[in-house]
Amino acid sequence: MTTGISRSVPRVDAYDKAAGITRYIADIPVAGVCYGKLVRTSISRGTILDIDVPELPEGFWFISEGDIPEGGRNRIHMIKEDWPVFTNSEVRFYGQTIGILVGPDREQLIALADAVRVTYREQEAAFTIEEGLACRGGALHGDDNLFADYCLVKGDPESAFSRAHRVIEDVIETGFQEHVYMEPQGITVEEQDGKIVIHASCQCPFYIRKAVAPSLNRSLDDIIVRQAVTGGGFGGKEHFPDIIASAAAVAVTKVHRPVQVIFDREEDMCYSTKRHPSQVIFKTALDSENRIIGMDIDARINAGAYESCSPVVLQRLIFSSNSVYDIPNVQLRGRAVATSTIPSDAFRGFGAPQGIIAAELHMSHIAREIGMDEVELKRSLMVSKGSRTITNGTIHETVKLHEMWQRIAEVSGWHEKKSRYAPGSGRGMGAAFYLHGGGFTGSGEQDIIKARVRMVKRDDGIVEILLSNVEMGQGLQTTFRKIAAQVLDCDYRDILLADPDTDRVPDSGPTVASRSIMIVGRLVQLAAEQLKHKLHEPGAQESEAAYTQPPGCHWDQETLQGDAYPAYGWGICVIETAVDPDTCEVETLGVWTIHEIGKAIDEAIVHGQVTGGVIQALGYGSLEKLELKDGKFFQHTMADYIIPTTLDFPGVYSELVENPYPYGPFGAKGLGELVFDGAAASYAMAVQHAVDRTVSRIPVTPEYIMELKTHG
Amino acid sequence: MTDSYYPKSLSEALELRRETGAIPFAGGTDLMVRFRAQAGTLPKLPHPVLFLGHLEELRQISMDSSGTHIGASALLSDIGVSEHVHPMLSETVMLMASPPLRNLATLAGNIGNASPAGDAVCSLIALDASVVLASLSGERTLLLEEFITGPGKTVMKSDEFIREIVVPADQPDRYWYRKVGTRKANALSKLSLSAMATVHEHRVQDFRAAFGAVGPVVIRRRDLEAQVRGMTLDQLSRETEGIVDAYRPHIIPIDDQRSQAVYRLQASLNLLRRWIDLLMQGG
Amino acid sequence: MDSITFRLNGTEVTITSPGTRRLLDVLREDFSMTAAKEGCGEGECGACSVLKDGRVVNSCMVPVGSIQGCEIVTLEGLRESEQGKRIIDAFVQSGSVQCGFCTPGMVMAAASLLAEHPRPSEAEVREGLSGNLCRCTGYDAIVRGVILASREGEGL
Ligand SMILES: Cc1cc2nc3c(=O)[nH]c(=O)nc-3n(C[C@H](O)[C@H](O)[C@H](O)COP(=O)(O)OP(=O)(O)OC[C@H]3O[C@@H](n4cnc5c(N)ncnc54)[C@H](O)[C@@H]3O)c2cc1C
Ligand code: FES
Ligand code: FES
Repeated sequence: MTTGISRSVPRVDAYDKAAGITRYIADIPVAGVCYGKLVRTSISRGTILDIDVPELPEGFWFISEGDIPEGGRNRIHMIKEDWPVFTNSEVRFYGQTIGILVGPDREQLIALADAVRVTYREQEAAFTIEEGLACRGGALHGDDNLFADYCLVKGDPESAFSRAHRVIEDVIETGFQEHVYMEPQGITVEEQDGKIVIHASCQCPFYIRKAVAPSLNRSLDDIIVRQAVTGGGFGGKEHFPDIIASAAAVAVTKVHRPVQVIFDREEDMCYSTKRHPSQVIFKTALDSENRIIGMDIDARINAGAYESCSPVVLQRLIFSSNSVYDIPNVQLRGRAVATSTIPSDAFRGFGAPQGIIAAELHMSHIAREIGMDEVELKRSLMVSKGSRTITNGTIHETVKLHEMWQRIAEVSGWHEKKSRYAPGSGRGMGAAFYLHGGGFTGSGEQDIIKARVRMVKRDDGIVEILLSNVEMGQGLQTTFRKIAAQVLDCDYRDILLADPDTDRVPDSGPTVASRSIMIVGRLVQLAAEQLKHKLHEPGAQESEAAYTQPPGCHWDQETLQGDAYPAYGWGICVIETAVDPDTCEVETLGVWTIHEIGKAIDEAIVHGQVTGGVIQALGYGSLEKLELKDGKFFQHTMADYIIPTTLDFPGVYSELVENPYPYGPFGAKGLGELVFDGAAASYAMAVQHAVDRTVSRIPVTPEYIMELKTHG
Repeated sequence: MTDSYYPKSLSEALELRRETGAIPFAGGTDLMVRFRAQAGTLPKLPHPVLFLGHLEELRQISMDSSGTHIGASALLSDIGVSEHVHPMLSETVMLMASPPLRNLATLAGNIGNASPAGDAVCSLIALDASVVLASLSGERTLLLEEFITGPGKTVMKSDEFIREIVVPADQPDRYWYRKVGTRKANALSKLSLSAMATVHEHRVQDFRAAFGAVGPVVIRRRDLEAQVRGMTLDQLSRETEGIVDAYRPHIIPIDDQRSQAVYRLQASLNLLRRWIDLLMQGG
Repeated sequence: MDSITFRLNGTEVTITSPGTRRLLDVLREDFSMTAAKEGCGEGECGACSVLKDGRVVNSCMVPVGSIQGCEIVTLEGLRESEQGKRIIDAFVQSGSVQCGFCTPGMVMAAASLLAEHPRPSEAEVREGLSGNLCRCTGYDAIVRGVILASREGEGL
């Protein structure tokens, strides 16, 4: 039986949610509310010539660029000034916001929005990575359509390729993925005491504040963001709420009434951001004994029409593109390509899944080519403590992948099944190895985020944690309390932790990048340790902890050299499949996982993250196809964009291995994204084994398998 | 003006149908999607609707010498577990939509919707089912194949609605139902096959194959079935590829959000081949 | 506008509304019962699940005019019953709740399932919940929650 902090406790939010008491943003009535409906472009690229708004009944308004308060910027500040709040001329993607109609009646609002007539001059547009690179229709960004263009060199790839006995080439591709958080996007904006108060289903309250303030020409303190209970995020509520909040906030300054925008599911599917599609081209140099001596990687992502966080996603992708392998000589180019599609944005894994899928599939293809067992090939190249990373940094921790493999091979029956299922027999086994760096990439935590956590003991003796990371299902309301309670030696349920309000809490950073426990949880632990000394002093007491980089970590953001991450989570996912000979439908027979995340703060919560992440990744790898047709998403309802049900996959076996990290709370590292990184690759490899064909893109749909079987 | 009628009886329903032309509304699981409302608004139904789902007279499932009579408003969840219902139809129904939707949805709705991807329609056509149409002027019975004429098109008159579906008692000995959906539950069909046969003393006495979602209507070729009837199992074995080739030009799927034409064709033919194989194995 | 009478959580109620208005909206707007949520509005997700005459249905698919005389139970009603409490407790114990948006619908589906199969197998639970989507949990903990609720029902 597990003891200490890892022992599971009932989640603090579970009862109210299960009993239907918890109120999400759409559940809270707002007196005198005006509903808001975004009016959007219906072409992908061109110029708006005219916007014809029908005559509006009393109580309805159409808000557009001209309504931005004086001195306000028509740009939403994301990582930098980025998407326009409203466009009235240049159109860069289908579904771009032109304006927002607000009014008290939703029926009328929809009719009015439908009646807005926009005339355009249309221009040729680029939608795919190839079209973007070719600057189809002229460059959208700069003169080369590249939001980012990075190069990395490790060792001496040039000489490796000159020595190469043979070179194996590969192109691995991944598609868009929609988050499908069960609660669609929603916000309410209102004026209170001269300030603008934004209630949002979101991951990053301080991001919204930063995004909205410049467009209203108000100070940051004039904007208050209060997180509403958030029904799932997965990255989809990292930046996208900025887009809705900015438009609604401008409207509020004009109409002086509360404005609420709740997306309809179809609207959410059509117009919210998605995971970046990727294309990774490998050339791998082998010597005469089929040893890998060098690798050339050309990674491209479809960034869409505005920069958003694409350069950072690209960084994580390329830093993950050697996955858990120590490849001796590598040259890499990574490009974030501008296209006329909705800007791609954060999604659980943030580029790492694309990098890892590419690396895992490519390694398995090399093994197929040279007639070697793929796991043996991979194990011969695995990193260990002291290994050099692709950014010429160091793995600082003990890597337990070999012992994890022994264990997972045993519980999954790997060796026996792998030898029993002949390639092409219809049964297949896949194994993916992966890692995920915790926290922001590079020096982001230290230079950009600078997280702070405050803790107070009130007059009445009650302890409250103040920070800005949100509960969105991943369990932070419980795990943060547990960390503090463990230090203060009290019951976790006695500690207060409210949904963040930017007016009350310090900025501990966004709820992203698997950083909440590893980085912010550590600050909770430190703040609690300070407070503990003052706990018995009379009156209110307070403590605060601020982030400092762990010693021995070095990073140069200019050259992208050094320790991209201070520590990693590690994982292995084994999958067993059977492919139907007639229809190529795939039955997943088993899913086994093992993860090393330092230390579990709560085992039930960790296993819940594992299962949820793995099933979401299996959806990505098998079912979730999102195609563009003329710049629009072809699948735009839940009937067409398919996510897994209870019956699509069997239960997930989940085991944990401890390896406490000295700079995480009680040894914990990042978790939330790691568990997404490997399952899609594992699934693809299991199908590859079952049908004995080279699988080089996901999702691996029955249609794709049929194509492989027919054409080889 | 009202947007809906709630008749108290079948006869009142028939009167309302004639007087108002209101459209039959059973479980609503097609209508409420096709004319979907966003939160806080009304469904965009073009006409008033005539609620039929609650009428007990239309919810009965019974059996007599002519076959099984399934009331137009019987719920899929009841049909799926009824002992009177042919097992191929029960299997089909239990693979449709999801448990909560099956507690609303009906066979008449699946038929009235007239989608080529209607799963029950596919099996009902293989079962030689008929629909009984009722109006104030009386009733008429039509083979389901004749009732549906195209995607969303039927020969129903504006004063009629389906009262019941009749599945003949006399059916082939064997059946095989295969649905290839977009996923394993709550999935629309990419393609489906409802196949039936009787093999007696190594000779095929009856042979039926209905293909769903691979043409404008469910594809059933009685002409090709007639060619298979009477074959010995040896002949069937030799002729397998010929039979598959004969079906090929009639399977005319499209590319859409859910699948691709090439896949639909190939998988449909593979299933047909598998079905013939199963017959030869006799198992 | 029609006058529509039905039973809601054990009490007879009458409303005046267009008959085609979605039951989901009626519950949320006229009765401030917000346990049923809108995740899709098209029958795909099950977040809007309620019981209609004891069986789980998607309230976004149900026009209020079609339920005259029916018994509608929402989570607001179910949570007062022994069975409701048992399921909710089992969900809390089993870690079945993450973001919680799907959870009310899952509890309703579980109630309907357990009424039909008091001691379901794992396969029956998965089948019974297959109309309810969850994007957070990967379902295993929810399935365990339902099985736990069924065991507790027998005093285990
Ligand atoms: C999420 C989801 C999943 C689904 N999955 C499937 C699936 O797997 N397979 C499948 O085949 N379908 C599926 N459907 C479609 C739908 O559920 C079925 O077609 C169902 O059988 C329709 O029945 P209903 O009673 O709800 O129809 P309604 O919506 O009430 O009616 C559908 C049509 O039939 C007409 N109609 C209804 N009753 C009569 C009558 N008595 N006489 C004449 N016409 C009538 C109506 O006017 C309308 O045109 C799905 C739908 C949803 C929302
Ligand atoms: S909201 Fe009703 S099923 Fe999704
Ligand atoms: S708990 Fe978030 S959708 Fe199920």
